[in-house]
Amino acid sequence: MNRRPGGELATRPLHFIWIADCSGSMKTDGKIQSLNVAIREAIPHMQKVAAENPNAQVLVRAIRFSSGAQWHISQPTPVEDFKWVDLQADGVTDMGKALSMVAEQLKIPPMTDRALPPVLVLISDGQPTDSFEKGLAELMDQPWGKKAVRIAIAIGSDADHDVLQKFIGHVEIKPLQANNPESLVNYIKWVSTAVLKSASSPASQSAGAAPTTNVPVPAVPTVAPAGGSGGPVTADDVW
Amino acid sequence: MSQASEWRVIGATVRGASHERANLPNQDAILWWPDDQHGPPLILVVSDGHGSDKSFRSDIGSRIAVERTLSLLQELLLIQPAARHLSAVKRALEERLPPQIVKEWRAAVDRHLAEAPFTEAELARVEAKRGPSGRQEVLDSPRLAYGATVVAALVAADYIAYLQLGDGDILSVSEDGAVVRPFAHDPRLIANETTSLCMEHAAREVRVRFEAVVDQGPSLILLSTDGYANSFINEEAFLKVGSDVFEMLCHEGAEVIAEGLPGWLAQASVAGSGDDISVGILFQSHLANPARDGSGSREYAADDAEILALESAPTGSDLAPARAAQDDAEMRSRFVARIKQRGPSEPSKRGSPDDLVPLDHEEPVDAPDDPPDRA
Repeated sequence: MNRRPGGELATRPLHFIWIADCSGSMKTDGKIQSLNVAIREAIPHMQKVAAENPNAQVLVRAIRFSSGAQWHISQPTPVEDFKWVDLQADGVTDMGKALSMVAEQLKIPPMTDRALPPVLVLISDGQPTDSFEKGLAELMDQPWGKKAVRIAIAIGSDADHDVLQKFIGHVEIKPLQANNPESLVNYIKWVSTAVLKSASSPASQSAGAAPTTNVPVPAVPTVAPAGGSGGPVTADDVW
Repeated sequence: MSQASEWRVIGATVRGASHERANLPNQDAILWWPDDQHGPPLILVVSDGHGSDKSFRSDIGSRIAVERTLSLLQELLLIQPAARHLSAVKRALEERLPPQIVKEWRAAVDRHLAEAPFTEAELARVEAKRGPSGRQEVLDSPRLAYGATVVAALVAADYIAYLQLGDGDILSVSEDGAVVRPFAHDPRLIANETTSLCMEHAAREVRVRFEAVVDQGPSLILLSTDGYANSFINEEAFLKVGSDVFEMLCHEGAEVIAEGLPGWLAQASVAGSGDDISVGILFQSHLANPARDGSGSREYAADDAEILALESAPTGSDLAPARAAQDDAEMRSRFVARIKQRGPSEPSKRGSPDDLVPLDHEEPVDAPDDPPDRA
């Protein structure tokens, strides 16, 4: 027997989307530069984790929001080919628009129902200036929006935790508070590795179980010296 | 289905590539009856244990699922000879079987748990990955540890029954090679989430379909756990499995399929989903061996096929009388003989014909959930 039945085989796609705040305030105190560095440094770690699970095809892209929103890296790019392009900051904080655009991409199609749960990482240092609620509602209207692993990173003390918590949508998962470049690097690395690894696991689970995530979110790293949300402010906390 | 139509069943299960890397067991299960793989009647059941952190005994749960489902489908066969009313079979399939499968699965799981309570090591592993709340969830709902799906098909002389709870796939292939799904896609089953035997209202989630075969029924029925479909790039590529297997049977014979199947599934897991994969195939024997019954396998026209799909017909409606494929007495004696042949190590506890209680003679089922909503 020289052939097997069926058409083309393929690993399961795992979409990983950075949703980055590029408002004018991200220019202050080097936040945008730190975010660019953090994501760029995380890429090799992300590639290593992806290589350890050859049954998941990790596809990365990025969307930026300031005055409006635009896809920064629009094509779902295989992580092994992914290269970060620096973000620039300017304008206001139209977070809702970005969520609407992500929702559009999570429709079936272009998504397939055989995909692994997408990972959405929202990074923001401020408060939305447009209708965040509308964008979130559109996102959550999509099956893949609801099932996505949604992580939020708050940069500095002005970030709106209530908004980020609504985006996450699970009481057990809190926004990660980054008060300095080092903590931002650690959180970006964590979401690029530990969360990615967990999301790429194909284990099934019973629907309708306890209201928790359908992908186990690993323990958040302890970030010294800034600490997590509500942690003590230290001399290293520049944001 | 003509009187001369004989059916065969073959199948295989493989441990997923990702499970091999993680040193996890195969959490699927597959079971068919009878052992000689010929019928009708023939029953095939597959189950997929969830494998998530909280479902750490799902390999046991899937095994229980196939055993209990197969046993209850065997009982369904007892209705037919006595009544000759397919509506009675259909009614039992739709109304009694779903809660009974859930009830018996729960009872068997509870017995296993009583004999082998959770160990601290098991609970500690859950807590390490899902936190204290995950541990508590398992303690509060211990059947969650055994969570599994079930997908089954029964080929009787004059009807076919399909049953499904949770993800997984059933393909039905007609005599001209056309592939259809007996059940519509359930849009809720994405992101590795599935309806499950361990759910509180599991019986409501069981989907059943009854087809009275007036003339030529499906030629081939394929059941698989979701790791198989998830290994193909799209739906079309997966549906091609049905038509390809059909063609292979016709041109290369059943043994080629039986021998090749484990390797094909392993290949699919490695290059695809990484998940455990189980596939069972029911097919009319003459496809693979045209000379055996002289039917010429594919010489008849598609117009000869006539199936009464009774999924939505009201219970007790005027069903078109199915042509009797076998004499009642012959059918019953054949069935009972097969039950007698089963040894004590085989899946069902109802090994003796004396233990077999036809479903239509049972007391009303004490359903664990509200009656299944078939609306």
